[in-house]
Amino acid sequence: MLSYNLKLAMHSFKRAPSLYFLVLLTLSVGVGLLCANLALVSSMAGDPIPEKSGQLFHVSMNTWPNDQPQSEPFHILRYREAMKISESDIPKHSAVFYASGVYARDSESESLKRFDSSVRATTPGFFPLTKAPFAYGNGFAKSSGMEVVIGAALNQKIFAGANSVGKTLELDGELLTITGVLKPWSLRPLFYHATEGRAFNLTDDIYVPLETAIDLGWSIHARTSTTVSYKGVQFTRDRDVFYLQAWVELEDKTKQEAFQNYLDNYSQTLKDAGEHPLDILNELRDVNTWLSELKIVDQKVLAFTLASVLFLCVCVFNASSLLLSRFHSAKFEVGLRRAIGASNKNILIQGFTESVLLGLVAGVVSLLLSWLFLKLSITFLPDLANIAVLDPKLLLLGMLLALVTSVSSALYPLYRANRFTISAELK
Amino acid sequence: MLIMNNVSRIYRNDTIKTHALRDFSLHVNAGEFVAVTGPSGSGKSTFLNVAGLLDTFDQGEYTLDGVNVHGLKDDDLSRLRNEKIGFIFQSYNLIPDYSVFDNVDMPLRYRNFNAAQRKRRVEQSLEKVGLASRANYLPSQLSGGQQQRVAIARALAGEPKILLADEPTGNLDSLMARQVMELLHKLNQEGTTIIMVTHDPDQAREVNRNIQIIDGQISDFKIYAPLQSSQVSQTETVKGKESVDA
Repeated sequence: MLSYNLKLAMHSFKRAPSLYFLVLLTLSVGVGLLCANLALVSSMAGDPIPEKSGQLFHVSMNTWPNDQPQSEPFHILRYREAMKISESDIPKHSAVFYASGVYARDSESESLKRFDSSVRATTPGFFPLTKAPFAYGNGFAKSSGMEVVIGAALNQKIFAGANSVGKTLELDGELLTITGVLKPWSLRPLFYHATEGRAFNLTDDIYVPLETAIDLGWSIHARTSTTVSYKGVQFTRDRDVFYLQAWVELEDKTKQEAFQNYLDNYSQTLKDAGEHPLDILNELRDVNTWLSELKIVDQKVLAFTLASVLFLCVCVFNASSLLLSRFHSAKFEVGLRRAIGASNKNILIQGFTESVLLGLVAGVVSLLLSWLFLKLSITFLPDLANIAVLDPKLLLLGMLLALVTSVSSALYPLYRANRFTISAELK
Repeated sequence: MLIMNNVSRIYRNDTIKTHALRDFSLHVNAGEFVAVTGPSGSGKSTFLNVAGLLDTFDQGEYTLDGVNVHGLKDDDLSRLRNEKIGFIFQSYNLIPDYSVFDNVDMPLRYRNFNAAQRKRRVEQSLEKVGLASRANYLPSQLSGGQQQRVAIARALAGEPKILLADEPTGNLDSLMARQVMELLHKLNQEGTTIIMVTHDPDQAREVNRNIQIIDGQISDFKIYAPLQSSQVSQTETVKGKESVDA
């Protein structure tokens, strides 16, 4: 019966190609636009590390040395707090880092061409904590040493994607040896540095030991706060300069409580020494709570997504109206089929088969349109480049949405087609 | 085969209530060929629609081939229509972009026949109406008479117990009408029960019995021809019933 219903659907499409094309276009534009918006929202609101987002915590402390301006916990820390966090054996892994930037080239290359590269100066725990995927080699074992890990994009630019472990990079005039190369690594959002409008930046080009970067004086390319003046990052270790972010991996509630106590006890020692004028307030926020508090989802995108949902409703009504006229013109055939033995159920299944077939085609067209909408968005808003991506989940959602809207569009026309007596339909 | 007792069908709108059938009683036995006549608006088509389960009725009882149809669900009514009734319409009601084969095949699609069974039945039906060689034609490539014969083949394909024909020759010239009537008589002689609505008094005289409907009721009946010898016992039953109707 399925093959017969498919055959009837094809007949139906051939009888009114213009009308079905309009229905297809109406549904595809509606679904395509919504999918494109959902792609943006999904990238913005998605869980970047679902397998352990509930175990990774951003550390905020209010160790500001006077009561102005920061009474709330601060997302950046001094070197001394950062080291206190690194020293703790409560977390499974911890990562302390700041963002920087250098020019990079292959030290053995004859070419003097250098590549402007983003740097993450961090502790070794960064790699297991973020589950950074290695293509070759591994991370550095210590927070010091002239070693680096590089990202896939930089490895492609400098070494054409080959295994470059053991090779030496010249970074701002310093020679550092590559210990590992990452696979292409996309984190949407970039949870470990989602502050300062960087939530949708790419992962970094270079990962360097924290102490090495500080010793080399690689400048801080992120927010800093301080109550004192300093000449460079190499002079920040014992000063009230806030610039390091910290993440810890705490596997269960007990460890969370233990680490919270650890932070609070540390703050208490500062208070006892007269170095913590504010009330003690240290906070641990897991990945999704942290991203949610940062409000990284653009409210304009949310508003536009809501508008897309309403637009899709209008498209469904339009498609339904077009199909109503189609079913009205097919009233006689419906009557004839019922007269010769088709039940209401048979007619409904026939109609649903037609709408499912239409929905499948609309799904494919709408995904193509989504892709086009996203490309257009990037043309006008280049900042969206890293998040305007249709992932497999969205492709599936697009197909489902097209099917649901197509079937929904046919519901009322099918109800109308079956509500008359057969003799009335045959007149 | 068909027993209607005191069947009424009333059409209502905001202001008017029309009794299309009023206390309508009729018994038709297997093998009969009954003509239904009457002026326009008398209730002939309503009777045929109710008999063919294309329309509901408001009061009375209707039994088709031993099945009381009152209160049956759509699935059961559809199965009855498909298995026991064949329809022949005045305007043929063929699907114009389906081939002759596909048109005849339509009712069989709603039964659990496999492709080979359907093919055999379609070919047999087309053979019966003399159009086996036209299976791949479109209706528009056939004459009116041929199209009506395709419609008859479609009605016969499911091997129904009863054929309901609504002015089957109404759209045909006299020569083609004669061919169609001869085909119907042949089918009746082979044992198919036929009820035919017609305006043509000559056609009405050719059948076993003619009932006339006026204002939704049987106003007159006539017996024109005895049933075949093999159906003598049924003839007596029919006559008995007619006296009841009278």
